[in-house]
Amino acid sequence: MTLLKAVCGALMLFSGALFADIAVIVHPSNNASVDQAELNRLFLGRGSTFSDGSRATPMNLAEGLPARDSFDTKVLNRSSAQLKAYWSRLVFTGKGTPPAEHPTAAAMKAAVAADPSAIGYIAAADVDDSVKVVATF
Amino acid sequence: MKKTLIATATGLLLLQPVAYANVDVSGYASVIGGRVLSGTGVESEGIPPSFLANYPLVGVYEKDWSFKPDTRFGLQFRANLTDGLSATAQVVARGADDFDARFEWAYLSYDLNDHWTLQAGKKRLPLYYYSDFFDVGYAYLWIRPPADNYTWQIFNYTGVNAMFNYFVGDWDISGNIYTGREDDSQNKLLSEYFPPRQPTREIWKNIVGGVLNLNRDWLDIRLTYMTYINERYRTIDGVVERVTWGDSLTRRGKFAGVSVNMDFGSWIFLSELNRLDLDGGKFDTYMVSAGYRINQFTPYISYADFDSANEKHNTTSLGLRWDFHSNAAFKFQYDDVKDKSEPFWEVAGDSKSITFGVDLVF
Repeated sequence: MTLLKAVCGALMLFSGALFADIAVIVHPSNNASVDQAELNRLFLGRGSTFSDGSRATPMNLAEGLPARDSFDTKVLNRSSAQLKAYWSRLVFTGKGTPPAEHPTAAAMKAAVAADPSAIGYIAAADVDDSVKVVATF
Repeated sequence: MKKTLIATATGLLLLQPVAYANVDVSGYASVIGGRVLSGTGVESEGIPPSFLANYPLVGVYEKDWSFKPDTRFGLQFRANLTDGLSATAQVVARGADDFDARFEWAYLSYDLNDHWTLQAGKKRLPLYYYSDFFDVGYAYLWIRPPADNYTWQIFNYTGVNAMFNYFVGDWDISGNIYTGREDDSQNKLLSEYFPPRQPTREIWKNIVGGVLNLNRDWLDIRLTYMTYINERYRTIDGVVERVTWGDSLTRRGKFAGVSVNMDFGSWIFLSELNRLDLDGGKFDTYMVSAGYRINQFTPYISYADFDSANEKHNTTSLGLRWDFHSNAAFKFQYDDVKDKSEPFWEVAGDSKSITFGVDLVF
């Protein structure tokens, strides 16, 4: 029984690490609402404004961070290889540049807190009141 | 004094990134080798068993292993000058050109607003679906876009391009309108491959074209149209002759195509259908392909066809893409080419070939 609990707990921890809850964050003054379709548009370079028409600056976490993988998989529904192939087409034909990348959740929060147009994401556990959460996945 | 100097110097250092543009350097490479397993060649033209993998650059595999026909390296420099202005240059070196590095792209780009961007300079001609990223192997499924479709001798132009991007309902609507010309003083395909194999200057002028992309979730539709005037000069025994078509010094080309791609996550379906009308002569091409993603592996199949009054050929391909690294993919492909052209119009004859290699981006 205890063993079962321990195994279940370990499994939950494990799945928690693989599919950490992702919080999509913006500047506290930003009142825009976003859904998954809009996040796809912004993070795939197909749109550059929020639903209210104001400019949006999407920001990524660095490749290889668990929260980046979760965002790519859960929100964009694509593998990192698919996304890289997608962006390499746009980059080398002059049709777009991928979002800037931040190396840590702390750097992401600082960047989002400093830019009213920013939209990024971090693991839900890393959220504090310097940023505003507009969606979780 | 010293402090002021240090302060000034520090100030200058801090200012520098603002005063001068940030230059982003990125690049891609494909290192591909292969050989013809068996083939007929074209006896009347003295062509040995060959697989013409790249028409415009005359990338030809024969029975000995070669790494030249599809291998290429590209470096892109993009200077972001802020306020929506940027300058981009791309240098490409290809094995088919003996790795002679050249500027394939060199253009200025200016964002007019959230929807429109103007570009001017030298760019790839966006005729077919894969034309403008033909060199970036990492961005598509196969070793190369099917050779039977990508046969045209001109693939760059110098001119202006206006790009747009709108979101309507659930559809992303993007595209571009472009105009310009290309004057290729020694066109490789016409000078080195097609009879009479004499130095040929190929001009495509008054190019006007447009592309419309409709994109929604798993569906991607692309419509393309372009028209141009063709002018050609051939040097025979040191004398430049103007090539004529019937009584005409020029001919008009009208190109139209449609491409429908579907990406269901695991299954991918790709297709394109194109027609070039050259003063009434019809050159039809199409391609259908399917792939199935299994984690890092994507086995695929494709069939491509070229059909005109005299020249007719098709290629059936089987292959595998393996995304073994976050920046690189290994590919292996088998190509079976059938050349069904009229006598004396054969291109390279029938052939069966294998090619493999690595595509990467950085």
